[in-house]
Amino acid sequence: MKVGSNLEKVILSGSPVVTVELGPPMSADATGFIKKANLLKGFCDAVNITDCQTAIVRMSSIAGSLIVMKEGLEPVMQMTCRDRNRIAIQSDLLGASALGIRNCLCIAGDHQRFSGLGRFKGHPGAKNVYDIDTCQLVGIIKRMRDDGLQQGGDRLEVAPRLFIGASWTPTAEPLDFRPINLKKKVLSGADFIQTQGIFDIDLFKQQMQTIRAMGLHEKTAILAGIIVPRSYNMLKYMATSVPGITIPEKIIHRMLKAKESAGSDKEEIKRRQEQEGLKIAMELIHQVLEIDGVRGIHLQTISWEEVVGYIIKTCGLYPRPKIHS
Amino acid sequence: MPKEILDKPFMSSQITTDDNDKPVYSPCRYECPIHTDVQRYIHLISNAKYEEAFETIRSVNPLPSTCSYICHHPCENACRRGKIDAPLAIRHLKRYAIQKATEYRKKNRLRPKQTNGKKVAIIGSGPSGLTVASDLADLGYGVTIYEKFSKLGGILALAIPTYRLPREALKEDIDDILAKGVETVLNCEVGKDISLKDLIAKYDTVVVATGLMKSRNLNIPGIDGQGVLLAIPFLIDVFSNDNREFKLGKRVVVIGGGNVAIDVARTAKRLGSDVEMVCLEAPDEMPAWSWEVDEATQEDIKINHRWAPKEIVRKDGIIEGLVVKRVTSVFDSNGRFNPEYDEHITDFISADTVIVSIGQTVDTTFLNDSPLIVDKQGKLVFNNHDYLSNHPKIFYSGEIVTGPGSAVSAIAHGHKVASSIHQRLNDSKTDLSFVEIDKIGDIPETVRNVIKARPRISISLLDTNIRKKTFIPVEIGYDDASALREAKRCRGCGGGAVVDIRKCMACMTCKRICPYDAPVVSFYSRIRQEYCQACGLCVSTCPSKAISMRGMDVESFRKDVIGLLSEKNSNIQTPPFLLYTCITQGLNPEIPQDIKVVSLDCLSRLDVLDIITPFNYAIRGVLLLPCNDDCKYHGVDYWLKMKVLHAKKILSSLSIPQDCIQIIFNNKSELSQNINDSSLNALIQRHKEGLQ
Amino acid sequence: MIVGEQKPFEEIWNMIRQYRRVLVLGCNTCVAVCHSGGEKEAHILSEVIQIKASSTDTSIEVNHMGLVRQCENEYIDDAIHNLQTYEAILSLACGVGVNFLSQKIGSIPVLPGLNTTFYGSVEEAGVFAEMCVGCGDCILHLTGGICPIARCPKSIMNGPCGGTNNGKCEIGVDTDCAWYLIIQRMKALGILHLLEEIQPPRDWSKSFHGGPRRMFVSHVMLNKREDANK
Repeated sequence: MKVGSNLEKVILSGSPVVTVELGPPMSADATGFIKKANLLKGFCDAVNITDCQTAIVRMSSIAGSLIVMKEGLEPVMQMTCRDRNRIAIQSDLLGASALGIRNCLCIAGDHQRFSGLGRFKGHPGAKNVYDIDTCQLVGIIKRMRDDGLQQGGDRLEVAPRLFIGASWTPTAEPLDFRPINLKKKVLSGADFIQTQGIFDIDLFKQQMQTIRAMGLHEKTAILAGIIVPRSYNMLKYMATSVPGITIPEKIIHRMLKAKESAGSDKEEIKRRQEQEGLKIAMELIHQVLEIDGVRGIHLQTISWEEVVGYIIKTCGLYPRPKIHS
Repeated sequence: MPKEILDKPFMSSQITTDDNDKPVYSPCRYECPIHTDVQRYIHLISNAKYEEAFETIRSVNPLPSTCSYICHHPCENACRRGKIDAPLAIRHLKRYAIQKATEYRKKNRLRPKQTNGKKVAIIGSGPSGLTVASDLADLGYGVTIYEKFSKLGGILALAIPTYRLPREALKEDIDDILAKGVETVLNCEVGKDISLKDLIAKYDTVVVATGLMKSRNLNIPGIDGQGVLLAIPFLIDVFSNDNREFKLGKRVVVIGGGNVAIDVARTAKRLGSDVEMVCLEAPDEMPAWSWEVDEATQEDIKINHRWAPKEIVRKDGIIEGLVVKRVTSVFDSNGRFNPEYDEHITDFISADTVIVSIGQTVDTTFLNDSPLIVDKQGKLVFNNHDYLSNHPKIFYSGEIVTGPGSAVSAIAHGHKVASSIHQRLNDSKTDLSFVEIDKIGDIPETVRNVIKARPRISISLLDTNIRKKTFIPVEIGYDDASALREAKRCRGCGGGAVVDIRKCMACMTCKRICPYDAPVVSFYSRIRQEYCQACGLCVSTCPSKAISMRGMDVESFRKDVIGLLSEKNSNIQTPPFLLYTCITQGLNPEIPQDIKVVSLDCLSRLDVLDIITPFNYAIRGVLLLPCNDDCKYHGVDYWLKMKVLHAKKILSSLSIPQDCIQIIFNNKSELSQNINDSSLNALIQRHKEGLQ
Repeated sequence: MIVGEQKPFEEIWNMIRQYRRVLVLGCNTCVAVCHSGGEKEAHILSEVIQIKASSTDTSIEVNHMGLVRQCENEYIDDAIHNLQTYEAILSLACGVGVNFLSQKIGSIPVLPGLNTTFYGSVEEAGVFAEMCVGCGDCILHLTGGICPIARCPKSIMNGPCGGTNNGKCEIGVDTDCAWYLIIQRMKALGILHLLEEIQPPRDWSKSFHGGPRRMFVSHVMLNKREDANK
């Protein structure tokens, strides 16, 4: 055992792992955030606390992580390369570890350009950092943890204890390079992998086949990303505008049919689409868990935390294993 | 003729060019014996600047009007447009420009600025004598012309048929020269009425420019007696003495194949006779200009080729006809004139009058009581370099030493002699002769292939039936629209873009924009002159202002713009519009008063600055009226649109409304009928209203 | 080639309106190539300033000229007396020219007429593209000649990130994904395996992040004679 986090333990136990994503608020008040966190309690092994996702300013991941810890959940602190240079990142990692945070997901982070594209103004004029990339961040944490050394070479009195995660986009072009991409992260030290949302099961299966052939599934725990679609429009938007997500036409079509079957009543339209979305998500969960080398799921509800319990229960993933140290 | 007049390029002398990028003459200018800057005056015509066009012509030619009627135009034969469709009608355009500038010319005779106290006598007032007189007068000499006849002009006044050269045209030229203070002594034959010796005593220098006034005669049986006339005396009688009632026989045979023979034949025709010609040469060997021959043929003059006169048959002294013998060859293997005959093959041409026109020779009367000598062959003695005779104060000028040729060649020779005299009398090393530079290469095939063919606009000729009976000019000049269209055919050879290599940073813009692939870019751009069509697109787009035009005036229209916009016009209540157009002639005089028109040869030369700068003045908008389908260049519309877009973008930062700039693109049908059509004005009016 | 674009006119006007005698100074090298700051643009801008001045009853005398380059002593020296007759100089050079001229000109403000944007290629007439950021530590041999530092908005060394979108970057469909290009190119060159190597964190000290850089080419320096005597 590397760090002894709940996530690490469940992975080692061999049971299918469940992680869920939770975004901190655009607020200095955590009440709502705490409420949402509690909806997840008991239904997952760890909660990913995002790091200013879509480059919108939110409560920091490190603070968010501490808050959910207080609520009895285990956080996966996300850390992007966008906003901090190697000095700030290592400093935060030391602090996080000292506060008891045990999981860290390394990601590049959405470009600040994104922040102004949606309903927010964001900060498209911000200067980004990108001193290091994801792969390098993974390597830096591993070196800190395992060798007690900073990236610059200085020794740490006490090394941080962090279970290292990295993201992976398996079902987008360039498909043949994606496994190499994963390999570099694994070789750098990624203990677990959370993938971008999977919709195209066939494509994902093919990629997993390559991964198995490379033996990567044994060196890291791959958690398949599941996005719960809520509407036809959302699916359509993701299919066309969100990089890294490939959605087969038949899934989009299913949602369209659900939408059209509802008649003109707005409530009914919403209800039918949400039902279909849940069905799709749960089918995907069954399908990914059947794939050899997939060690669990990473559930992204996109601010629809209320359904997590239902999904986990319905999929037979409840209760979550209780591991005693 | 002084150099500063001859060589007044538009191009700034400040620019530094590639060593291989030497200026070249356009073929028209190169082939012109006096190197008239043809392209420049054509360009000025297409900008409706007739006065400047005229001055360009007059700067090297003291007889512009004369040449505009009778010049054999070697310029046209050389025109590179000839390889695309047909040469530019240069002589006609010259005539058009001069006619347009007539009033100006009458008011602006050039007077010499100062006199130098030296006196020169010129014997003879033909083209070369007049040229020497004009040049020397310009340089401040006191010039006196001694003329045997009662009129000035020599052959031009005496013998050139009026249907080719109206005497009013010649008079304009002579008035120019007389205005310079040149004095004349008419009806005074040197060697008879006054001797050369007397002249030498009175003048610092004497120029003998008496030409070739004596007609050669034949030595065949029957030549003596009535009914045989000599060409020059015949022509003089008809045209100088105005003897239109000249009694010729019913059937006239003209012997000779030169231009004078054609003149004689056509004159005889006009006097009412049936005319045949007999000449040694085959059609393609004739020394007469082909177009003269064509016009004669059109007038029902039969030309008997390859026949030589053998005998004039008379009965009781009255001519019955001419016996001719077959010519077997005209030139020997060295190309020299050396005809051979087959005496056995003969023919008979019945006639009652024979006019001999087999060339002219020197009338040597001036030699009487003179220090001049002739050599053993009886030829005049002179220096081939400066045309000084054996006497240090006497020069020869013109055909008397060069042999028969064209009027413009005689003018060229006159310049040369005037230059020699000036050097000699001033002990001056200044060479006033023409700058001789290379001519431009042929248009490369790749370029030729992209140039749109556009047929030459012929001028009309009088109907042949009328022509045969009258002595009024055969050629009818251009109307405004035709002249403009024809002028716009000029490709601007050698007058195109040139790069200042100190400014060029090889950005490739010119290479990318050029429709003719003219620029070659390495460390800097060099625009290949033989490719360049002088459209000016590169000039107006170069970001470092490194490109200018060698021969095209792309600057002066800017002064016009400022002049127009600065001028206060009390009739106009509101600020005017500025209209740039290359459709010069179609707009006046109906164009509304509040539209100020600036004409360009082509809107391709318009710079974005030209669209913006007018807004420095009180104007309501800038209108652009390109010639569209009629454009002789490529891509002009596109680049014009881009420039307008650019200008609009710039002006929007000044809160000037975008629609203050409008391109008026006509559809073809609206314009094609007649560019003078008032529909064009209606169109402009419409756009104008759109702007308000 | 250094690429720049002219500042919005309003910004330029606010910079210069207080001066009575202004020279718009073009730079006829890099920024002329991108049609932003050459003598021609200087001429256009001086006209626009004049129009603005007369329409707002502001009296400004505006002239224009162009130098070969505004970043070298000799070119400036040739014109310095003329330049010093102005109250202010609106330079259309890149930032280098504005800095350099400011150092040389004495107590005359040199104002920037351009926003200096990048080192660019001329992809085609009128299209300029950033390809290098002058990071001081070139790795193009490792990436098939396509720079991930300059051309990937995240400067990722072990790319691509999850944001690559069918060959385009997540920041917009107008931007090619540099890593997509790198992979295609390296495949074509048969050196894709080079990308399996994990690139360690970079040493940015050689770049701008290490502080303003200078370079000494001693064998052409004029003040190094004592070295030569050694």
